[in-house]
Amino acid sequence: MKEKRFAIVVSLLLVFTLLLSACTATVPAAPAPQTGGGEAAPAPAANIKIGLVTDVGRVNDRSFNQSAWEGVKQAGTALGLTEGDGFKYIETQDSKDYADNIQQFVDAGFNVIVTVGFALGEATTKAAKENPDTYFIGIDQFQGEALPNLTGLVFHEDQSGFLAGALAAQLSKTGTIAAVLGTDLVPPVVAFGTGYELGAKYINPDITVLTTYHPGEISQAFVDPEWGAATAKQALDQKADVIFGAGGSTGNGALQEVAAAPGAGTDVFCIGVDTDQWETLPAAHPCLVSSAMKLITPSVIDLINNYAASGTMTSGNYFGGAGLAPFHDFEDKIPQEVKDKLDEIAAGLADGSLTTGYQP
Amino acid sequence: MGKQRYRITSYIIGGILLVFLVMALLVNTTSLGENTWLRVFFGVSALNFTLRASVPLILGAMSGILCERTGIINIGIEGMMLAGAFAAFVAKTSTNHWPLMSSLLFGVAVALAVGGVMGWLHAVFSIRYRMDQIISGTVLIILAAGISAYLFDRNAVAEGKFGAIALPGLSQIPVVGEVLFTNPPLTYTTLILVVVIHIALFYTKWGLRSRACGEHPRAADTVGINVNRFRYMNTIIGGMLAGLAGGFLVLEAVGQFQEGMTAGRGFISLAAMIFGNWMPFGAMGAALLFGYTQALQNELLLAGVTTVPRQFVSMIPYVVTIVAVSGFVGRVRPPAAEGKVYETEGGSE
Repeated sequence: MKEKRFAIVVSLLLVFTLLLSACTATVPAAPAPQTGGGEAAPAPAANIKIGLVTDVGRVNDRSFNQSAWEGVKQAGTALGLTEGDGFKYIETQDSKDYADNIQQFVDAGFNVIVTVGFALGEATTKAAKENPDTYFIGIDQFQGEALPNLTGLVFHEDQSGFLAGALAAQLSKTGTIAAVLGTDLVPPVVAFGTGYELGAKYINPDITVLTTYHPGEISQAFVDPEWGAATAKQALDQKADVIFGAGGSTGNGALQEVAAAPGAGTDVFCIGVDTDQWETLPAAHPCLVSSAMKLITPSVIDLINNYAASGTMTSGNYFGGAGLAPFHDFEDKIPQEVKDKLDEIAAGLADGSLTTGYQP
Repeated sequence: MGKQRYRITSYIIGGILLVFLVMALLVNTTSLGENTWLRVFFGVSALNFTLRASVPLILGAMSGILCERTGIINIGIEGMMLAGAFAAFVAKTSTNHWPLMSSLLFGVAVALAVGGVMGWLHAVFSIRYRMDQIISGTVLIILAAGISAYLFDRNAVAEGKFGAIALPGLSQIPVVGEVLFTNPPLTYTTLILVVVIHIALFYTKWGLRSRACGEHPRAADTVGINVNRFRYMNTIIGGMLAGLAGGFLVLEAVGQFQEGMTAGRGFISLAAMIFGNWMPFGAMGAALLFGYTQALQNELLLAGVTTVPRQFVSMIPYVVTIVAVSGFVGRVRPPAAEGKVYETEGGSE
């Protein structure tokens, strides 16, 4: 009898297990809509509702999705909207759901829809054509043909990478530096990587730059920190002393590997990507001299504010800011002439007197 | 006959290792190192990568050997690894404020414990409830994947991971020192464990009894060995080893947890175990071979020496695995009583 009861408990446990694993796959990703609350909010400008569709991954990924959501959140809050009602996000679980997730927002009457990532480009363009009255912002989606209601928010990643490369080349003592990158199937990653190489060669034409891209498909390339770490170690073994980790958590794996290596912060250094990774990846502090940034958050805010204020949709491409993050704890360890050189390059890139030489 | 073949295989493997050692020494210390191709095959970075990629496979294979030698098929290594990885991550993140070393060691301890619990579950299912062992293992995989994904807090950050410790003296040996004696602690542990398990299995009373349970439990029982107690014990120890493999991934290889981060390593471990004929050193050799193919893939990409499309380079590890396993698997022999429930005559327990 006791045996039997135990068996029932065990089988229930197993059923529960299946339920759990099912949960993670189909859990409704969007947060439950909050009830608006009684107090009168400041009158929402022109009845704006902002929806954000993430790329595969979580909204709090300490990287790409998160920067975009921060932008939406700040812009929305400034406009007096509340989360859930005035602005919300849907986390994409599977790349085949891109179009459905966008459609959910369209159906729910959201009139500003932000889609995050190169991979959503096709779905976004299609949705923009079908819904001419809805304003779409596609992050990292370069627009070949301009649609009136779709802004491709893109960045000069090559410039940001160029600066990172110039910094790396000046820090390197061994004459070898490396870049551990997400996939070359995504153009912005290639821009970062190529910019890095060109920037390093600009400082020191004889420098060796070891560049590798993740060998897998788009779906794994940004979520494989183990590969990133192992590859960073490989580069260190080949005498690279500055490593640029660019590619979501794959790149983060590389940064953490360098941070744990002997001589981190004195002989070997790392450079992060996208956001100021000093803030997002504390584990990399021992080696993180800077990050090659693309300023997603402020650009998203600008675009939304622009639309809210004047109702204009920016057609075609909008170039957001790109540049190096602060040096933080390495502020005192980086020689002044290195900083001066970087400032000079940044100024040159900004006024067009210097080009990176990157051909998309 | 079997013994002779075993000896020949050992000679062949020893020969290959010797060639490797000589080539590695030459390439990394003489001007032969100027040749990119030789560096790809024998460079220190390739060898380091091999070891690193092999460690979780070796631990997984050891886990499989311990279980299967006593007659319990353990297909759930993947799940035990994942559970260990997740446990290590939770332990590490909740003790981030401790001194780094103690927090990491605590992570290892928790990974071992949780791996052990998974092993115990597998033993309970398959011994006490006589569940089909393949199904029980599959249940463990689903259990670990489901629970770890459900409970994973994506905001949690594990700060720091194990760094390399150079063994004084030994690490000064050219090439060999760099590859073998400048490693993080869990890598050393793994290499030592292989030797320990080999000796324990083949030169101790415990090992003889364990193997007897896997080959002919009735005979073992006749001479007074408690077969199921041995099976319980070894499955739990096996679970701990798999948990340690998970701990390695989180605390030493990456420093972070990812959903499904074991990425099939449990199954590759099983392949290594089979390819290695259920022998610790054989399984280690197989794991190193699999690790080496991954290293080769990455070295080729890093050196940029081929014009072959990347997708073909990425195929190397899988092709070698398939060729190796399909070419040799017919010649190995699993423990005779593997996967069979053992019941004493006249009793149910």
